[in-house]
Amino acid sequence: MGRDFAQPVTAVVLGSGTAALADELKTRKIERVITVEDAQLAEYNPDSYVQVLKAILEKERPFLVVIGHTTQGMDFAPRLSVALRKPLIAGCVEYEKQGDRLILTRQIFNAKMNMKTILRGEPPYLATASPGAFPGDELEIGGNAEVVSVPAEIPTASRRKMIERVEAPKGKADLTAAPIIVSGGRGLKEKQNFNLIFELAEAMGASVGASRPVVDSEWLPREYQIGSSGQTVSPRLYIAVGISGAIQHLVGMQTSRCIVAINKDAEAPIFKVAHYGIVDDLFKVVPALTKIFKDLKHS
Amino acid sequence: MKIISCIKPVPDPASRLIINETKTWIKDQDLTFVASEADSYALEEALRLKEKHGGEVVVISMGGEEAARVLRSGLAMGADRAIHLLDPKFKGADEFAAAAALASAIEKDGGANLVLAGVQSDDLGTGMTGTMLAEFLGCAHATVVVGVDAYPDRNTVMARRELEGGINETIERPLPAVLTIQFGINQPRYASLKGIMATKKKEFKAWSAADLGLPDEAAGKPGAMYEVKEIAIPERKSKVEIIGGTPGEAAATLVEKLRKEAKVF
Repeated sequence: MGRDFAQPVTAVVLGSGTAALADELKTRKIERVITVEDAQLAEYNPDSYVQVLKAILEKERPFLVVIGHTTQGMDFAPRLSVALRKPLIAGCVEYEKQGDRLILTRQIFNAKMNMKTILRGEPPYLATASPGAFPGDELEIGGNAEVVSVPAEIPTASRRKMIERVEAPKGKADLTAAPIIVSGGRGLKEKQNFNLIFELAEAMGASVGASRPVVDSEWLPREYQIGSSGQTVSPRLYIAVGISGAIQHLVGMQTSRCIVAINKDAEAPIFKVAHYGIVDDLFKVVPALTKIFKDLKHS
Repeated sequence: MKIISCIKPVPDPASRLIINETKTWIKDQDLTFVASEADSYALEEALRLKEKHGGEVVVISMGGEEAARVLRSGLAMGADRAIHLLDPKFKGADEFAAAAALASAIEKDGGANLVLAGVQSDDLGTGMTGTMLAEFLGCAHATVVVGVDAYPDRNTVMARRELEGGINETIERPLPAVLTIQFGINQPRYASLKGIMATKKKEFKAWSAADLGLPDEAAGKPGAMYEVKEIAIPERKSKVEIIGGTPGEAAATLVEKLRKEAKVF
């Protein structure tokens, strides 16, 4: 984007022990690295981040500020937008340049539609970049960026005490090593219909997974969940049954070698990542598949 | 404890969405609106906190009749009173303008110990409004919350947050605070017949932009930080091969392709 808009690129690193990351960043093809080294920033606090970044951005007046569309990025970017009174487009998947204007695209209605937005007012503009939308490994080596150290300005430190950080309870269903996964979603309509998934999985010798709504409705325990807040899987074969394919689910399975989607809604985003698709009633397709695999096993 | 629960009306997830003529939004005239799913979890959490600590739950929503509808359901679920931000001037608000209006209304209502909102809405879905609201109110916040313990006597709240990679963190924050509630934190209750009957007797306030002291340039579309250029159904990048035929034929073809073409067996 820096190249497209003829703007220098500056990386900003906040925290305690920023030197190692700054050393790595200065070898990349970017213009500057700003480090804010302060013990108060050792532990993440959105209010401190907002104060420090606001001061830097008001001084630097960049064209655009890009933040990762991660849990942490989205924990402080909206506050920063309000503090600066500058627009934020969250979850960007594309950008385009129209004249000098920046058009940012984000997904709406669970990735069913894309929304192109025009930012109002003067820069800086804020954006969070959706994971996977812009390849992050293309930051070329070969630069000699200037490293600038800036003091942290945190006039009103707020209270945010970290009590603990633990692994969320995980059950027996470790799907990360499963070669074949049959996964069911909301399209199954009710809990007992999930038997269709278990039957197909058994006939195929596969493991069972689920999308978030299935787990939220308590049809299956949390340990079956695949997606950004569940397990990330990359099996040889992933069969998504009645799963529309919200971005949170897609990030947890899109690297699977072969993806099959069975869904009656041809517009469902799951078909965008699938290799094979059947647009039909899962209640007819799944039993047919189960029968074929059972017959194969017996022959 | 006074707890405010923010509810956004969104098209029923079962509705078929059609893009409007100007390609700036969907045709929403004939759609049924319901509370955005994550906001229902937030309201259930608010009701449980009230049951534990006493006080009141106030539901707030912005919009036309669709907002009144989700507020009435909120009252039927057990909220004590409702604030309806009702004014054609609120139309076209983005997350920023919506958060500004909500903050003004919460301040006008005398503030709250806790403000709860869903982690993201089912329509725009970017998870910005709750966090922006905290900045407008100048109070603490916690996002993606999967567990809440309030300590009103100590003026603190413990929030368990869901992070990437299956990690949960518990943080302590001072009250007042805004919490954005993650999907699945609880099982939202259904409204009882008694609850539905009781809604008629509950306070239901409607406030306009002027009531909130919001100037015209700060409300609705003029107060938004971005304009919608165009809405479109994304092009398919993947070359998905759609297998046709009857369900039986499609299943047979698929298995054949998985074995011979994709060679996953």
